[in-house]
Amino acid sequence: MELKNTKLFFPILIASGALLVFLMRAFMNDYILIIVNFVGINIILAVSLNLTNGFTGLFSLGHPGFMAVGGYVAAILIFPAARKEMLLPELPRWLAMQQWPLLPALILGGLCAALIALIIGFPVLRLKGHYLAVATLGFLIIVRVLITNMEKYTRGPLGLNGLPSLTNLWWVFLWVVITIYVSWKIKHASLGRSMLAIRENAMAAECLGIALAKTRITAFVIGAFFAGVAGGLWAHLVTAITPTSFSILMAFSLVVMVVIGGTGSITGAALAAILLTLVVEILRPLEEFLGAYGISEIIIAIGLLAILIFRPRGLFGSSEPSFLVKRKKTPQGSEAGI
Amino acid sequence: MLELKNLHVYIGKTHVLEDLSLEVKLGEIVALIGANGAGKTTTLMTISGLIRTRSGTISFQPDMESSRKEISRRKVEDIVSMGISHCPEGRQVFTTLSVKENLYIGAFQRRNKKDIKDDSESVFNLFPRLAERMNQRAGNLSGGEQMMLSIGRALMSRPRLLLLDEPSLGLAPMLVERLFERLDRINKEGTTILLVEQNASMALELANRAYVIETGRIVLSGTGHELSDNKEVQKAYLGLT
Amino acid sequence: MSLYFAEQMVNGLILGSMYAIVAIGFTMIYGILRLINFAHGDIVMIGAFATLGLVIARLPFPIIILVVLLVGVFMGIVIERVAFRPIRGAPQVTGFIASLAISILLQNTGILIFTAQPRNFFFPDYLQRIVNIGQITVRVLDITIIVTSLVLMILMVILVRTTRIGMAMRATAENLNVARLMGIKIDRIIMLAFAIGSGLAAIAGMMWGGKYGQIDPLLGFVPGLKAFIAAVIGGVGSITGAMLGGYILGFAEILFVGLLPPSFSPYRDAFVFGLLIIILLILPTGLLGRKEEERA
Ligand SMILES: Nc1ncnc2c1ncn2[C@@H]1O[C@H](COP(=O)(O)OP(=O)(O)OP(=O)(O)O)[C@@H](O)[C@H]1O
Ligand SMILES: [Mg+2]
Repeated sequence: MELKNTKLFFPILIASGALLVFLMRAFMNDYILIIVNFVGINIILAVSLNLTNGFTGLFSLGHPGFMAVGGYVAAILIFPAARKEMLLPELPRWLAMQQWPLLPALILGGLCAALIALIIGFPVLRLKGHYLAVATLGFLIIVRVLITNMEKYTRGPLGLNGLPSLTNLWWVFLWVVITIYVSWKIKHASLGRSMLAIRENAMAAECLGIALAKTRITAFVIGAFFAGVAGGLWAHLVTAITPTSFSILMAFSLVVMVVIGGTGSITGAALAAILLTLVVEILRPLEEFLGAYGISEIIIAIGLLAILIFRPRGLFGSSEPSFLVKRKKTPQGSEAGI
Repeated sequence: MLELKNLHVYIGKTHVLEDLSLEVKLGEIVALIGANGAGKTTTLMTISGLIRTRSGTISFQPDMESSRKEISRRKVEDIVSMGISHCPEGRQVFTTLSVKENLYIGAFQRRNKKDIKDDSESVFNLFPRLAERMNQRAGNLSGGEQMMLSIGRALMSRPRLLLLDEPSLGLAPMLVERLFERLDRINKEGTTILLVEQNASMALELANRAYVIETGRIVLSGTGHELSDNKEVQKAYLGLT
Repeated sequence: MSLYFAEQMVNGLILGSMYAIVAIGFTMIYGILRLINFAHGDIVMIGAFATLGLVIARLPFPIIILVVLLVGVFMGIVIERVAFRPIRGAPQVTGFIASLAISILLQNTGILIFTAQPRNFFFPDYLQRIVNIGQITVRVLDITIIVTSLVLMILMVILVRTTRIGMAMRATAENLNVARLMGIKIDRIIMLAFAIGSGLAAIAGMMWGGKYGQIDPLLGFVPGLKAFIAAVIGGVGSITGAMLGGYILGFAEILFVGLLPPSFSPYRDAFVFGLLIIILLILPTGLLGRKEEERA
């Protein structure tokens, strides 16, 4: 897959995105702006999950776990020292004194998530099939249990509230751009490398195994980094963070985005994130109006089942739109035999 | 008895069988020979309904009295109940079941306990090794014994037509000879056989007629002797020059 | 100490029994379809709510058991037909995600109908009565749970080991396509696995409600996951393994809470899932499972 026009295309896209952000901030009301922020954060999450997924071939259900790590780290670092004394009196002194600005806190949060991904990735990524999905789900639950019980740092089940409202559309936009750019680079660079290796002949196939394990870990770690950053953004948009924020339902919604978008497609994941966030935001008032709680999840679940049954490759397939890439490689399907 | 007409079969996007036609007459042994990947296994799986055709017809007539039926859209279990039994490639016995259970499951659609017992006795006559190991797990049998069990299991449904996919695979030469004698006996007792074989010389010797398949097409056909004498066949499949 | 220990053992036995009978269904479905059915736990929830409704309707207890069993069977069949059959043959992950979707669907339908508020669960008084066995005090209900589970498990073993249909189930679990060549109607076998598994899960829901006294629409999630872990411990696909795994997990959990200092108890779930990951890594076939052959 050779990139076409991307040299020109990305700057144009970024510029028009920036213009859009500028216009929205000028003319939209707060309610809509918050929704747009959520859309952006979900794009970061879906695209980064898709990155992991594209290389492991599997849906990690642990993404919210990495978000939680990034979110808590950023929240503790950013929290004003005075309030920290009140809410988290037992915090070690050196930590209680910190009062970081948003960007470095986000990055450190992301790095912590990435470090954890590295540590658990080595053993867990050896698992095959859906066992990997279940193991990552186990990871999510473990993270939540730990956060709930590390009261010294997290205030346990109460969570941290009154976080400064630092996240705005510019920050979100910046990270959306970084996430998409990095994913795009990795997807195409590494695909190209594997194809080259296969051409190199039989001996290369073995090396490919090693390279594959390495790319899997790398993809997993990078995915976790962006999830961590998204966690930080999310916490400082909602201005509160609790262990229950990072639920299995959230893991599910992220997976839904990747499935709808078409496994492996960055554009698809981004579009699906937009679509799903908007659907949820439209359904939520309806749900409250009717007093029929649960209805939006029901609709999404049914929608997902319908896609799995009728459009198993996702709405957008696994390739990128043709105006972005030169050639399309259609994946081969196979039928089960004996 | 069995007639395949202009079959086209795809696996995924690969066109595996292209316009394939062949016929098996009542009482015959027909051999299907060809190189690896030619489409032999696919042909058998298509007949037994595990793989669906894209186009073409498969018609089957169990005996003279019954009528000819189109079976290419039937379910696997219906095809079994019409009298076609498929002994799959590579001795796929149920390793967690006992030898006896493997035979009984071969007769899954039959209800008459007495008949089933009699038939398992006659399988044991055919392959005495199995009788000794009746209550062992099939997974503990040797490769050759598993092959016998797989053939015996296929006979348990009392098929009119037996599809055999490389029954000699992994058997010692002496055993292969004995196996082919048994096949001959099974055939004489009234079972029509479609035999896929790598061991072309023996297959051609045993068969009444044979087909040669190459990349999904039938390229030659004739009686066993005609094909054994054919120069091309000798060169490609019999290792003679 | 020894009395305390004995009581803990009874608790382990109860918990283990429930895990075991949920795990049976899990493992049967996995054994045949290689499908991790996330929604299996939610049948437990449905069973619990069905029981509560029938108890409120004052039906006699044996009838309640029967109806709950049938509700589970029915749900299992419907779910298989509507959601899993159309995607059969798709990659494993597709099935997994579909089951996640069904799980979310069932949970939220529960919330829609019953709200997320926990409800008190009650059983007839004679089940709540306390009896003494030696020095240990237990409820009649506890004994009922243990005995019922044992009976159900023995029936399962008989079904699978000795009957014609059980033989077909084992054959199908080992090799789906060859089972078809034997003339086995695998659609029926798969339906049966869902029916039996879900029936058992619904019964487990009845026990779960009785044991904990409160039920809510999300209650199935934890037992579902734990049953999965039990199945993994025993070796997914093996029915006796699932039973064994259920009891091992039940005891391990109770011992973790009962024997370690109380400050560790909140970490119970972390312990259980840590255990899962470790087992997946070092003993992927479990205690009684077979090595997974590649099925093309
Ligand atoms: N599941 C599958 N996916 C893709 N291609 C397949 C699949 N199964 C078979 N094929 C292709 O179909 C062709 C025919 O295969 P088949 O197994 O029928 O060959 P065969 O004649 O039985 O070979 P052999 O002698 O090695 O058993 C081969 O080219 C093979 O690569
Ligand atoms: Mg073959």
